[in-house]
Amino acid sequence: MTEGRYLEPATVDDAVAILAGDQDARCLAGGATLVAMMNARLVEPGTLVSLRRIEELKGIAIGADGAARIGSATLHADVASDDRLSGGHAVVRLAAGRIASPPVRNMGTIGGSVSHSDPAADYPAALVAVNAAIEVAATGGRRSVAADDFFTDWYTTALNEGEMVTAVTLPAALAGAVGHYDKLVKVEGDMCIASVALVLAIEGGACSYLRLAVGGCGPGPVRSPEAEARLIGTALDDAALGEAGAMLADGLDPPDDVRASAEYRRLVVPRMVARALSAAKSQLENGE
Amino acid sequence: MTLTLKINRQARDVEAQPFDTLLHVLREKLSLTGAKRGCNQGVCGACTVLVDGRPVRSCLSIASNCVDREITTIEGLSADGAPSALQQSFLDHGAVQCGFCTPGMIVSAHALLAGNPKPSTDEVRAGLAGNLCRCSGYRKIVDAVRGAARRGAARRGAAGK
Repeated sequence: MTEGRYLEPATVDDAVAILAGDQDARCLAGGATLVAMMNARLVEPGTLVSLRRIEELKGIAIGADGAARIGSATLHADVASDDRLSGGHAVVRLAAGRIASPPVRNMGTIGGSVSHSDPAADYPAALVAVNAAIEVAATGGRRSVAADDFFTDWYTTALNEGEMVTAVTLPAALAGAVGHYDKLVKVEGDMCIASVALVLAIEGGACSYLRLAVGGCGPGPVRSPEAEARLIGTALDDAALGEAGAMLADGLDPPDDVRASAEYRRLVVPRMVARALSAAKSQLENGE
Repeated sequence: MTLTLKINRQARDVEAQPFDTLLHVLREKLSLTGAKRGCNQGVCGACTVLVDGRPVRSCLSIASNCVDREITTIEGLSADGAPSALQQSFLDHGAVQCGFCTPGMIVSAHALLAGNPKPSTDEVRAGLAGNLCRCSGYRKIVDAVRGAARRGAARRGAAGK
């Protein structure tokens, strides 16, 4: 993997022009995934389009309404340490802090992670839970894709040929909501057996808002509108949790792999969901 | 192509291919063999170096992408051949077995102590996460980092008096 063209465009327009004219071009941000795949000879790009000179892709901006825009080249470490991602948005910050190890968090970017769409990665479920949108650019212009519609299959996204991710946007913060992320791993830093991401609000002791996504148990993050509907309006009591957990488990398409069997994943996810909801609820009640 | 890389506070010109990794350039072109090639997948930590002060995997870094950035390897942590306080602490605590993981451990610990001079045991473990010691000599490594932190604190205290 020594031959090839290495380019450093200064703008998104210049970058997408390169992508449009070269099917063997790949965007290079931190390299945490792409270069690992090149080292393993899984991909052999003809051109690497480094994104490091494109200022627009860097950093996190919070709008007056609390909506957040995370540039696609923002490092996991910088998302993980940004306390402005609070309330429901905290689910994204917490997920970033659980990715791999500190050196990988100093390289990997949110744009790289969502583009790769590894079902066991941390960001996809968190972005679905927070109802994020993925902003993408091509020579024809820009568009925004809801996270719900972005992770379309195993390692496959709604990105078209020649498109690149420019930002991830989080909707205006929901008053009184809390975000929670947890994952089950054999050892910290490993890909997950399963993960749970959620945004929860409670009014008068009853669940008033819930979006919940499970990672690592299907081609993309798994949501269950039925399970969410079963829980909204309840006190998140054991009966509701039990029924909602069963609904969720029915909707999973978990892999049988080196980390766990599919059967184990179906058994453990309802328990992880109950534990995550309990933790989020107590965080809301204790006003932390 | 010729790249100019800033390595251990020196500008180094090196002949490299466009997609060469930083690890390849360090080891094969510049004979800086402290960083090790273990898994070549970013998992084991043996290739860890500092880029702009932050630990990263040199096996996953494209050298071209590191131009204009400050690269520090294990060789850059000692001055005139004398070990740094952290390196001396690894020696004093016997925190080296086969030695393959040691450069990555020390580079990561150096960055940890720069940001957090008095880490708890848990903070040392979290800070060194992603560096695998297949001799499983973790305990002495954690002791060495905490020992260096204590010595650093003592030195700062003495300087303040």
